[in-house]
Amino acid sequence: MGKITVDVKREVLRANDMLAEALRREWASRSMLVVNLLSSPGSGKTALLERTLEILKGRMRVAVLEGDIETDRDAERIRAKGVEAVQITTGGTCHLEANMVAKAWERISDRDWDILFIENVGNLICPAGFDLGEHLRVVLLSVPEGDDKPAKYPKAFRTARWMVLTKMDLLPFFDFSPERAVSEAKRLRPDIRVFRTSAKTGEGVEEWANALVEEYRKMYG
Amino acid sequence: MHELSILQAIYLSLREIARRYGARRVLRFRLEVGELANVVPELLEEAFAVLKAAEPLIADAVMEYSIVPLTLRCPECGYYGPWRERTVRCPECGSATVDVVDGEDLYLRDVELDIPEENYGQDNG
Repeated sequence: MGKITVDVKREVLRANDMLAEALRREWASRSMLVVNLLSSPGSGKTALLERTLEILKGRMRVAVLEGDIETDRDAERIRAKGVEAVQITTGGTCHLEANMVAKAWERISDRDWDILFIENVGNLICPAGFDLGEHLRVVLLSVPEGDDKPAKYPKAFRTARWMVLTKMDLLPFFDFSPERAVSEAKRLRPDIRVFRTSAKTGEGVEEWANALVEEYRKMYG
Repeated sequence: MHELSILQAIYLSLREIARRYGARRVLRFRLEVGELANVVPELLEEAFAVLKAAEPLIADAVMEYSIVPLTLRCPECGYYGPWRERTVRCPECGSATVDVVDGEDLYLRDVELDIPEENYGQDNG
């Protein structure tokens, strides 16, 4: 038998990343802003989206890809707002991968959209490693979770361009310092942009929604 | 636990490389695991055990890995080296506009293959 050693130095997720890059280009060529929302379970991704969709209604053509391990409850909540939602059920997988997103996207790609939200599976670890072709990665951090989350889950906060603090209405009841959360996140990503929101009271949601519209205009004029 | 997905991706790479050189088996492969690659080596080992049992190509393979620290390059002062205090800032001059040059990804470094005699010198790349 013959033994050889092949030097490869190849990034392992290359297949995922190549597909993600193809999606990113396709979406850009169709003048779309695609937003990947990352957070722990229960940090309020769907609630923030519901509020955001109300604000964007009539201004932008919006669709949502909903990633969940089981059930299509979140997609139902989005549809109740009169917004197109495609459920991606991962069947046990704790994150979305570009091929799952590509398949879901096919179901609505016959129409034109301005903003496409991808609500990732609730999990701060696994989704952070998978590029989905998004133009903007946003990480959510809710007040009850604690301000030390960025230090504990560095990859999620390192790879996100924006961070949204959610459930700000609960601030009086928790030992949560928004300043500390922000400074922890900035240790990992010095230029991270921060929004403070409450889907319950509506605080900050308009600012965040407007920032999305601005981001869209910045990309496509 | 995304390590199984990652290992499946590694396996696809190994299979492609083995085909290219006409190899019968993978004997050994080495990974470079970035400190911030979000991969837990113990879980990678578990996933490897699962896949090993299913795929003859890697049934006898040995997986090795090394951890690559998050490595920064500072355009301001020229610092090149690992981060300190888990902050993506230049540890020398404090600049926040540093480049992260390594330690965020997972690489397949090299692969040792068992090639049957009749396939020596083959390269189907």
